[in-house]
Amino acid sequence: MNRLKQDALLSELADQLRRRGSWCGETHMQKATYFLQDLRRVPLGFEYMLYKHGPFSFDLRDELTAMRADGFLDLSERGPYGPSLVPTRLSVELRNDFPKTLEKYGSDIEFVSDSLGNRNVAELEKLATGLYVYFEHASRSQVIRAKILHDLKPHISISDSLEAIKQVDAIVERSA
Amino acid sequence: MLLRLLIICVTLCAFGMPKSGRIPKHDHEVRDPIHVFIHFDSDERKVIDSRPLQRLRHIHQLALTYLIYPGATHKRFEHSLGVMDLAGKVFDIVTKEQNLSEDVRKLLPEVNQDKKRTYWRSVLRMAALCHDVGHLPFSHAAEDKLLPSGWNHERLTAEIILSNEMNSIWAGMTPPLRPEDIVKLAVGRRKAPPGMKFSRWEEILSEIIVGDALGVDRIDYLLRDSHHAGVSYGKFDHHRLLDTLRILLTPATSEPALGVEQGGLQSAEALIIARYLIYSQVYFHPVRRIYDIHLCDFLTQWLTAGKFSTELEVHLSMTDNEVTAGLREAAFDSTKPGHESARRIICREHFRVIYERNPSDLQINPESSSAIFHAAQKNFGAECVREDKYTQKGGSLDFPVLQRDGSCESSLALSETLNKIPVFAIDYVFVRPEKRPEAEKWLEEKRDAIIKEGRKKEDE
Repeated sequence: MNRLKQDALLSELADQLRRRGSWCGETHMQKATYFLQDLRRVPLGFEYMLYKHGPFSFDLRDELTAMRADGFLDLSERGPYGPSLVPTRLSVELRNDFPKTLEKYGSDIEFVSDSLGNRNVAELEKLATGLYVYFEHASRSQVIRAKILHDLKPHISISDSLEAIKQVDAIVERSA
Repeated sequence: MLLRLLIICVTLCAFGMPKSGRIPKHDHEVRDPIHVFIHFDSDERKVIDSRPLQRLRHIHQLALTYLIYPGATHKRFEHSLGVMDLAGKVFDIVTKEQNLSEDVRKLLPEVNQDKKRTYWRSVLRMAALCHDVGHLPFSHAAEDKLLPSGWNHERLTAEIILSNEMNSIWAGMTPPLRPEDIVKLAVGRRKAPPGMKFSRWEEILSEIIVGDALGVDRIDYLLRDSHHAGVSYGKFDHHRLLDTLRILLTPATSEPALGVEQGGLQSAEALIIARYLIYSQVYFHPVRRIYDIHLCDFLTQWLTAGKFSTELEVHLSMTDNEVTAGLREAAFDSTKPGHESARRIICREHFRVIYERNPSDLQINPESSSAIFHAAQKNFGAECVREDKYTQKGGSLDFPVLQRDGSCESSLALSETLNKIPVFAIDYVFVRPEKRPEAEKWLEEKRDAIIKEGRKKEDE
């Protein structure tokens, strides 16, 4: 997928997340894009690895910065998670150049935004790491996966991990 | 005076004296224009004296920048010493007992054990010392063109640290150092060999060296490059910054990360502003960039198969000296490969800028420079036109800040300045100097149409 098409999808995702009440900082975009790419199979081409706050893509981080340089995203007012990423008028024009692409992946973006739009950073960390554990150990029981999640992120208690795993399973089921 | 002599005599009698009459020296120092004195021990000296480190005496830190800023002839060698010095200082500050909270101690048990702390301090300094050993001649950025697929300078760095030659040094140390630990800290998580797992502690230590916001690699090169280039842009109060660095918990997720005390936030802001300014004024000066492109053009013709070798023996034998000799030879002999590009560098006949990125054109076409580049190539021939594009890497500069009440906040939530520093990006189109008047006239006439009509809409 070429860069501009990728940027059109990312700005649409930011827009949809914000419409559902998301703060839409960098972390929100990181985790939502992880779901969009790895769960919904939208071929964005970002490489993810398990990092400090769960699945993280350095490529996506660079791309979000490049989108700011090109005027597709702006930083808005500061808040508890730092600034929000706000799609600009230029990003709307960009999206107008790719109507078929947006139509093709529109339902995927809506699904991810519906599932994650109202989540804060701490919740997103749990869910995205839970999805990572799901991909690595799909056949394991929820309890075992919760234990794996807790081992990866000891500050997430076993009961919170189990809750996150259950929510991930529900999202995966709805996505199928 | 007499008393001092007496003390020396007593000490020598008590601890014995080598037969030569000289006391072996284990602490060494060199003078440095940035850090005044850099101290190192005998094990570190062995690494400094090794071939990979000595090679860095012949790799310019800023490639051909000295053709624009004549003072910028400094080498990767002294930068490596500087990074080692700073890494050691930061380690001592952030692991000081009074600088660590209970929560951080729980998450990073290594800081509570003297033996482990000593081991990792040594690993960190060695990693800092070796972090650049994989650099190609002229620290060349065009690694994707000049190295075989799958290789970059970080991979070469890792291979050198893991080599038999360096392994014998690591194994002979007290305690012996694990080369894999040094690799992790030297190249960081993003560039580490696949499958290398990082503990929290290792993440933090690698952040001390390669961290995007507060890493000492950046601190040293900003100070050093501005000093040698003769510009003030890269300077900031690094003493204050180092003093206020802490390992803190990230507010949203409670994961440990490198941050600052509230009093150091302004020096962190100054560092980030300094980076923006030196990027604009020095690193991405258009003439510096075109010299880099000419050098890359030269190397692809001059090197066997157009690539640098990744065999360590060959890598270690290739420095700026060999390339410079090749450049000079080719510049004055039209039968040599790379003659044209070499002449452009040596005789200062570099291509000239006819177009550069600007916000108004980006509003019409986000790829305006590429549209002009392709149109210019069509009009003047591919050999007469070059394009250069770069956008700053990394994300927004989010790090935890320790407030006076003991709580931690995101730097982005506290600092108006950090949110306002623009993202640095350049796009240049260059043409041959002899074509410049014609190209400028052509661009004046066609520019608006090219930008408007060149907007790509390759939808599914």
